[in-house]
Amino acid sequence: MGLRSYIITRILLTIPTLLLLLSMVFLVMRVLPGDPVELHFEKKATPEQMEAMRRALGLDKPLWAQYTDYLWGLVDVGYLLEHGYPNLGKSMQTFEEVGGQIFSAFPATLELAIYSMLIASIIGILLGVTSSKSYNSFLDHLIRGFGTVTYAVPIFVLGMIFQLIFGVYLRWLPTGLRLDPAVNPPPTITGLYTIDSLIAANPVKFFEASKALLLPSLTLGLILSGMFIRMTRTNMLETLRLDFVTAAKARGLKESTVTYGYALRNAFLPILTMMGLQFAILLGGAILTETTFSWPGLGRYTVDRITFRDYTAIQGAVVMFGLFVTLVSLIVDILYAYFDPRIRL
Amino acid sequence: MERMETAIVALVLIGIIVSSGTMYYTTIVTSDLSTLTSDVSTLTESVTELTSTIADLATAMAEGFEDIEEVTGASFEELTGAIATLEARLAAIEAGLAARETLIVGTTDSVELTLDPAQAYDYFGWCILQQIGGTLVSVKPGSPTGADFLPDLAVDWNASEELDIWDLNLRQGVMFADGTEFNATHVKYSFDRAIALIPSIPEGAPAGLGYDAIINRTEVLDTYKVRFHLNFPFSPFPGILASRSSTIVNPQYAPIEQINHTAGDTRASTPVAFAGPYVLSEWRRVAGRDVEIKLDANPNYWDLASGYPKMEHIIFRFYSDAASLRLAIEAGDVDMAYRHVSPTDVLDLEDNPNVRVWWGAGAAIQYLCFQTKRAPFNDTRVRVAVAAALDRNTIAETVFLGLSDPLYSIIPPGMLGHTEAFKKLGDTNYTLTRSLLADAGYDESNKLTFDLWYESSGHYPMSAEQALVHKAAFEASGVMDVTLKSADWASYKQNRDNEIMDAYVYGWYPDYVDPDNYAFLYWAAWIHTNYQTTSPEAYAQQQALYDAARATTNTTLREELYAQIDDIAVEQCSVVPIWAGTGYAITKPDVYGIYLDITQDMRYWLISK
Repeated sequence: MGLRSYIITRILLTIPTLLLLLSMVFLVMRVLPGDPVELHFEKKATPEQMEAMRRALGLDKPLWAQYTDYLWGLVDVGYLLEHGYPNLGKSMQTFEEVGGQIFSAFPATLELAIYSMLIASIIGILLGVTSSKSYNSFLDHLIRGFGTVTYAVPIFVLGMIFQLIFGVYLRWLPTGLRLDPAVNPPPTITGLYTIDSLIAANPVKFFEASKALLLPSLTLGLILSGMFIRMTRTNMLETLRLDFVTAAKARGLKESTVTYGYALRNAFLPILTMMGLQFAILLGGAILTETTFSWPGLGRYTVDRITFRDYTAIQGAVVMFGLFVTLVSLIVDILYAYFDPRIRL
Repeated sequence: MERMETAIVALVLIGIIVSSGTMYYTTIVTSDLSTLTSDVSTLTESVTELTSTIADLATAMAEGFEDIEEVTGASFEELTGAIATLEARLAAIEAGLAARETLIVGTTDSVELTLDPAQAYDYFGWCILQQIGGTLVSVKPGSPTGADFLPDLAVDWNASEELDIWDLNLRQGVMFADGTEFNATHVKYSFDRAIALIPSIPEGAPAGLGYDAIINRTEVLDTYKVRFHLNFPFSPFPGILASRSSTIVNPQYAPIEQINHTAGDTRASTPVAFAGPYVLSEWRRVAGRDVEIKLDANPNYWDLASGYPKMEHIIFRFYSDAASLRLAIEAGDVDMAYRHVSPTDVLDLEDNPNVRVWWGAGAAIQYLCFQTKRAPFNDTRVRVAVAAALDRNTIAETVFLGLSDPLYSIIPPGMLGHTEAFKKLGDTNYTLTRSLLADAGYDESNKLTFDLWYESSGHYPMSAEQALVHKAAFEASGVMDVTLKSADWASYKQNRDNEIMDAYVYGWYPDYVDPDNYAFLYWAAWIHTNYQTTSPEAYAQQQALYDAARATTNTTLREELYAQIDDIAVEQCSVVPIWAGTGYAITKPDVYGIYLDITQDMRYWLISK
C-alpha cells in the first residue's frame, strides 16, 4: 500500500471512530440524572416557562430527533462557513453558541499544549539520550531520578511551587492569567498570543505573552518530560546494542552522527507513538494547569461548565477534546508510516 | 565526555544564561517602574514650582521679550530650553500619575450572564452594574443597618400615609454617559421595562424581587418628578430602589423588547447605557467567562465635583480559585483581592506587611432546613430537638476561624429586627434534645436517624467541614445517628425542589438590605420545607406580622413585629439560623477608601491609592 492509500484509509477509519465518540458523548449526557431545564432556574419557574425553555433548547423533541439535529449541526457546512465554527448547540446556562465559546477558549489551550509538548520533547529526548549514553553512571541515575520525580509530582503542586518561587518571592513572573489586563491582546490571526504578537511585530506583547506562558508550559512540560526520558532511554539502550550501530561506529562515523542520525532515528518510532498518546494526557493535564494558573482555556471552561451542569457545553468540550486527540493520532499514524514503511505493508 | 553531551551541556548553559538575562531584565524593568512611581510625588512638587515660573513667563511675555531677561535672569534661549525640559517632565509625571490612577482588582468572580438590570441576578454582575449604573437612592457607605439611604439620582422622596404611593424628586442636570439628559421618563421606562420582561426572564432579578407584585405602575408627574403606585403598603421600598435591578437605563441602549448587554452583543461594550461613576470600556469574555473588564471614569458623572470616582480606571483580573487569588495579592500582581479568599489565607495574610486586611460586616447567612412533610421532621419536637443540638460556636471558631458569627435569628446582626431568639434553645443543649426526642420515642437504643445534606461544589464556603461539625454535634447527644450526603449545586437545587432531603443547609444573600428580605425565609415556598402547609396556623401568624412590618415605617414597631416572627420560628424550627458571615478584603497597604458594610457592596468609586 502506498503512503497516499494508507493516509486515505486511515482518514476513513477516523470517521467511525468519531461517530462512536459523538454518539457515546450524546448518550451519556442524556442518561445523566437531572433535568437541565429545571436546573436552570434558581427559584422554580411555572410549567409554561419550563416548557418554553425546553422548546428553546430543543429538548422537547424525541431523542432520535435531538441526535440527528446534533449530528447535522456538526456537519452543517453552511453554519460553519457563516460562523467560523461548527454548530455545537447553545449553552444551557448562558444561551450563547457553544461552538463560539469553545473556539474562543481553544487557542489558549492549543498554545499551552504546543509549548508544553515542545518543552517535554526537548527535555525528555535530550535527557533520555544522555542517560542512555551514560548507562549506569551517576548521571544516568540522576536523570532517571529526575524523570521519576517529574512524572510523579502532581501538576498543581509543581505549579504552586513555581508560582511561589517565581511569582511571590522573586516577583519575576506573573502567578497566573494569559496576559496582563493592562496589555491589550495582539490582533487575532492564529489566536496564539506569542505567534500573533510576532506577526504584528510587537516585541513588548510577545515578551508579555511569553512571560505569562512560561510557568504554565514549564509546569506541564516538566510533568510530561518524565515519561519521555524513560521511553527515550529504554529505546536508545536497546538500539545502541544493535549491530548496525556497532557497524556504523566501526566505519568511523562521528559519535553524534551514530547517536542522533542512526540510533535515535530508529528509537524514535515508539517515542512518536507515545507523543500521540501523551497528547490526550496533555489535554487532561491542561485542565489542572489551566485551573492552577487561571489560564482561560478549554480545560478551565470544561471545569466551569461541569460545575453548572451545562450539558451542551460539556458535550461540546468533550467532542472538541476527542476531535483534537483523534486528529493528533491521525497525524502521528501518518508520520509513523512515513518514518517506517513497514507499517504500510 | 562525548561531543554531543558537551553540546547538550552547552545548550543547557546557554538556556540558563538566556533565562537569567531575561529575568534580570524583568527585574530591572520592574525596579524602574517602582522608581518612576516614587518619583511622581517629587515631580508633582516640581510642577507647582514650574507652573509658577510659567505664570511669571506669561506675564513677562506680555510685557515684551526684552523684559524676559530682566524678570528671570535668563536668556530667551535658556528659557526655551527650560520649557522643553518642563514639557518632558510633565509627560513623565502624566505617565507616572496614570499608573497611580489605575486600581487592579483580583477576583474569582465572573459576570454570570448579563449586565442588563432586567436580568442580572448574580453578585458580580450586580457589582459591575453598581459601578456603571445609577439608582434613585443608595445605601450610605458604612451604614451599620443598611437602612440609611442617600439621595442618588433622586434628591428626596416621600411616601403616602398608607405607604403605597411614593413620590420622588429627581436630580436635575444629570446626564447619561453618552450625554443624554436624565429625566422622569427614563425612570418610568426603566421600571416598566423590568416588569414587562419578567414573563420572559423568570430567573431575572426583577422577577426574583417581585417587582410585578409590588409595583402597580410608575407615573411621570413632571420632568423631574415620578410617582410609584404600589399594590400594597411597603415600607422597605427605598431598599428596592437602591437595588441593582432598579438601575436606570438609557432607552436608546436598552430596548424594551429584548435583553441587552449580553456577551457577544456589540452593545455589551458600549459604555453609554447608564449614569454611574464609571463606564464599561472593555468587557471581554472567553468561553462564557470574564477574562477582562476595564472601567473608566464617567466624564458625565453627576458627582464629579465631589471628587468621585477617585480612580480613573479599574481593571479586574480573573483568577480561577481562592489559592490563585491569594498568590496574586502576595505577588503584588493586583492592588486588591476581593471575595472568596479562604479564612485560613485571610488570617495568614494579616501577618504579611505587604498587604492590608480590611474587616467589616457581612450580609450572608446560612441556616438549617427540615423537610416537614414527612417523618421524622414532620414532628415539631424532633425539629426543636435537633436545633437544640447545633454547635454554632464550633462552626464559627473551628471552621471559619472566627470569621463568622453564631446566628440566633434569621435577620443578621446589625440589621433592624435582629434578635437572639434561638438562644432559648441553646447550643449543644443535649438535655433538651434528649428530653424532646424521648417524648417523640427516640433513645440510645432507638436513635433518631436522618440524612443531612450539604452542597459539595463550592457554591457555599466550607460546606463539608461544617457538615462534619454538625454530624459530630448531633451524634454527641447519644440519641441521633446522622448520615452525611452531598450533591453539587445543580443537583442540590434539584433535590431541594424534589423535596428528597431530610435536613439540608442553605444560604442567603439579600436582594435588598432590609429585614423584609430575610424574615420571609422561615416560610419561603422555594426552599421547599412545606412549612406553609404543615404549619398553616403558625405560617398565617407570621405572614400577618410580616405584612404589618411592611406597612409601617415605625422602626420600633417593625422590630417588635420581626421579634414576634422569630419567636414563632423558635417554636416551629422549620428553618434554623446557624451563622452570619463577616466581610473582608485584602489590599496593598497604599489602598484606601474600602467600606465593608452590611450591603457587601464594593463601592470602587470611593477607593483611592
